[in-house]
Amino acid sequence: MLRELRRSLVWYLFIAPTFIIYGLFVAYPTLQTFRLSVFQEVATKQQFVGAVQYIRLLTTDVFYASLVNTIGLGLAFLVIVVPLSLVLATLLNQLRVAPNLFKTIYFLPQITSTVAIALIFSYVFNPSWGLVNGGLHLIGVSDVPLWLAEPRLVLGSSRTMATIMAVWTALGYEMLIFLAGLQAVPAELNDAAVVDGAGPLQTWWYITIPSLRPTIVFIVLTGTIDAMSRFSDLWTLGGPSGSPARSLQTIVMYMYQTAFEGNDFNLASAMAVVMFLIVLILTLVNFRLFLRRDFASAE
Amino acid sequence: MQAETEPMPPAAVAQPAERGGFLAGRRQAELARQIVILAVLIIGALSMIVPFEWMLATSLSRSANSSMPRIPQLWPSDASFFNYKIALTNLPVLTYYWNSFIVTASATLGLLLFSSLAGYAFAKGRFPGKSVLFVILLTTLMIPFEMRMVPMYLEMRDLHLNDNLLALILPFIAGGFGTFLMRQYMTSIPDELLDAARMDGANELVIFSQIVLPLCGPVLAALTVLSVLWRWNDVLWPLLVIDNNKLYTVTLGLAVEGRSQGTLTGVVLANTTLAILPIVLIYILLQRFIVRGIMLSGLKG
Repeated sequence: MLRELRRSLVWYLFIAPTFIIYGLFVAYPTLQTFRLSVFQEVATKQQFVGAVQYIRLLTTDVFYASLVNTIGLGLAFLVIVVPLSLVLATLLNQLRVAPNLFKTIYFLPQITSTVAIALIFSYVFNPSWGLVNGGLHLIGVSDVPLWLAEPRLVLGSSRTMATIMAVWTALGYEMLIFLAGLQAVPAELNDAAVVDGAGPLQTWWYITIPSLRPTIVFIVLTGTIDAMSRFSDLWTLGGPSGSPARSLQTIVMYMYQTAFEGNDFNLASAMAVVMFLIVLILTLVNFRLFLRRDFASAE
Repeated sequence: MQAETEPMPPAAVAQPAERGGFLAGRRQAELARQIVILAVLIIGALSMIVPFEWMLATSLSRSANSSMPRIPQLWPSDASFFNYKIALTNLPVLTYYWNSFIVTASATLGLLLFSSLAGYAFAKGRFPGKSVLFVILLTTLMIPFEMRMVPMYLEMRDLHLNDNLLALILPFIAGGFGTFLMRQYMTSIPDELLDAARMDGANELVIFSQIVLPLCGPVLAALTVLSVLWRWNDVLWPLLVIDNNKLYTVTLGLAVEGRSQGTLTGVVLANTTLAILPIVLIYILLQRFIVRGIMLSGLKG
């Protein structure tokens, strides 16, 4: 056993830096988050209080609002971006003129900082002279939506604008991922379908979409996690409280407010734990759909 | 190109097949299809470009700071570099660039090195506890950054690393995702290659650097692209950790200044253009590369 360990020493050295960083910046902080969430600060000392922070969370309307907001924005985003990028990827896959040019253009928003995009979009959607409303003025519409100034849950509201912004930013990326998935569909499957007399729509529904299942799962999963951790673009637009009227506040923004404006690290940690549990459940659900089939065959 | 039965062409572009026979009808239908596809994609592409063009145009307009035209113009009537002069004198843009560059480059180099080392160990190494350790490492992927950000902030404060660029670099020089990506790629390197080198007496470090690493071009490129994007565009963590505005990164500086300048539309957009210009230029130069890297990482993911 000792000899095996000695021979394995080199491998342990190889993984050491990674695990040191992991220990310092992943394991320790995560455990600390759990720990902080069951404590309370009393006269600059930490005192164990069990589930007090969680009960506080459960009775905080603002927390619920931010949670519902986060999930709602995430859902709206996914519902629009997944079909849209799939359609675009399908079209792009069949384009014979300059497909690379289109890939480059569509991916451009992804490499731009979300802060820059938020600033640009705050002007694009300016209620008086922005690109969007200006365009509406041009075609004669007088009752233009208020976009960022509209906190209510209506079509021309801050939330709609935030969703459009998210879709615009991610469309190119999702499209590329779908494109990779489409190009990995074996040609024999399509040929067999043609031999069996399937039309293009049937081929698409019965062969392409099922082959894309892992890709769709990947996109939905990463989209969900990204939606739950949404911060910088909405913060740039409306500050940590997600103005107007908290219509843009996500749970991370509220966590930030609690920790760094309210100085309550314990409550913020409880929030982080709740957020983690939600992400965990969603991840596990997705993994059950995806990994079980693939790992069985690959490994 | 897949062999498919052609769908009935829509009535608007239906052409009788008598001219030139059956083949001409098919070619025309195919052409019609390409045109429709092209049209749709062009509309989408325009929607990607127009906001940037408008940003550029407005940043060149001095009058944008006081009043904006009701009907948006795609090129200003009073084009000048006025806003840029203000932006460059008001903000230490070059300092921000330098900060972003240091953080991004150091973190990326570290990530490439340590991820490939660990990835190689998990792909080809044999040591007790390998699978357990790998699973533990993978848990990183399931723990969102926000989950650990509060203690990380406190940690940095206790280590006296806050307000220090190191705080922006260290957490990201190694991690589960990079290791995972490298490992997945390296498992496809044939063992015979490595065994032959071992029989020639080479130790693992030599094998790693001379044989394995050179074969990893594509995945290293993909990881580089991802790391650069993440570090350059990260706002939340720098916001938490850095108070000294001389240490701001480009994106953080842009956010803070952009939010405080509010009504000076022209200046803010000039700032924004300056902030994204280098990345856009690099992107245009390397786009083929970058796009391929993203698609590769998506497949592996």
